[in-house]
Amino acid sequence: MTEGVWLWVAFALMAMTTVGTRGSFILLGEKGRLPPALQRALRYAPAAALSALVMPDLLLDGGEFTPLNPKFAAGLVVLAVALRWRNPWLPFILGMGVLLVMRKGLGW
Amino acid sequence: MESAFRRGAREGLRDFLPISVGLLPWAMVTGIAMRSIGLSEIESLGMNLLVYAGTAQLGALPLIAAGAPLWLIMLTALALNLRFVIFSAAIAPVFHDSSFARRLASSYLLVDGVFAVGADKLLQADDPHWRWGYYIAPSAFNWCVWQVFTALGIFGAEFMPRDWSLEFMVTIALMVMVLPMVRTRPMLVAALAGGLGAVLLRGLPLRLGVVAGIAVGIAAGFAAEHWQQRGARS
Repeated sequence: MTEGVWLWVAFALMAMTTVGTRGSFILLGEKGRLPPALQRALRYAPAAALSALVMPDLLLDGGEFTPLNPKFAAGLVVLAVALRWRNPWLPFILGMGVLLVMRKGLGW
Repeated sequence: MESAFRRGAREGLRDFLPISVGLLPWAMVTGIAMRSIGLSEIESLGMNLLVYAGTAQLGALPLIAAGAPLWLIMLTALALNLRFVIFSAAIAPVFHDSSFARRLASSYLLVDGVFAVGADKLLQADDPHWRWGYYIAPSAFNWCVWQVFTALGIFGAEFMPRDWSLEFMVTIALMVMVLPMVRTRPMLVAALAGGLGAVLLRGLPLRLGVVAGIAVGIAAGFAAEHWQQRGARS
């Protein structure tokens, strides 16, 4: 766990990425322009980044590759629910529900 | 007679209001998630005020919980914020005659929803007062809603049971965010390659696997786009 002053330093660094990215061209004004190839490549960064955070949590259990685990099962439910219904609460309710039933109810 | 600023503000709010509902669960989940990894109320509120970027906040939480190095936390936040470089480039002409203070405020407040709903109208409008109203009103509204509902999550988290694996809500939130992005084949390739890359490269020191995975994903998406275009031409 990052703690104390270092935590606030981390927040400040993250805040710099917020204003830095959002402000990049707004603050530069007419002076700057992004090379088209770079602009196209950057489009893939968010999807790649989100997935790079999600998949290890779903597929690993204690650092080991374990595709059959409660989190993965709950993840599949979340995918199905989010693809099927537009209700923004449902993936959280059913995803957590499945995880808790498997962990607490079935002791997995 | 009503000023151009107020007309712009009202129209901006009216356009933005319907999609702001989707913000409420995110905000509350972000609040609960920050508390679930062990941040105090003050730390959570501070993070929310300073960073003001739901995706980057949620994405950085696992790294903060693991005590990852600062530069890695920053790099991950940067990767999750990179889409705003594209938004910023697209919307910059709207602010060409604005003061620096307004441009700075507009930068901090720029969010996906306002950009998605308003960019076209903003770029076509001539009146600078109308444009400022149309941009700043929904942006400020979004900020208020986000802060209030995140605070609800932060202070409500105490009443949630401790042993319920609530940190899994972060993963759920990130999954639901990635879904609308992967509508095209190259995006899907980028996401799958990024995720599997991070899984396979988890052995790298300093939790570098995440950054390496992101790089693999970007490269794979770019390559997939290239092949798709070549396939379409032949």
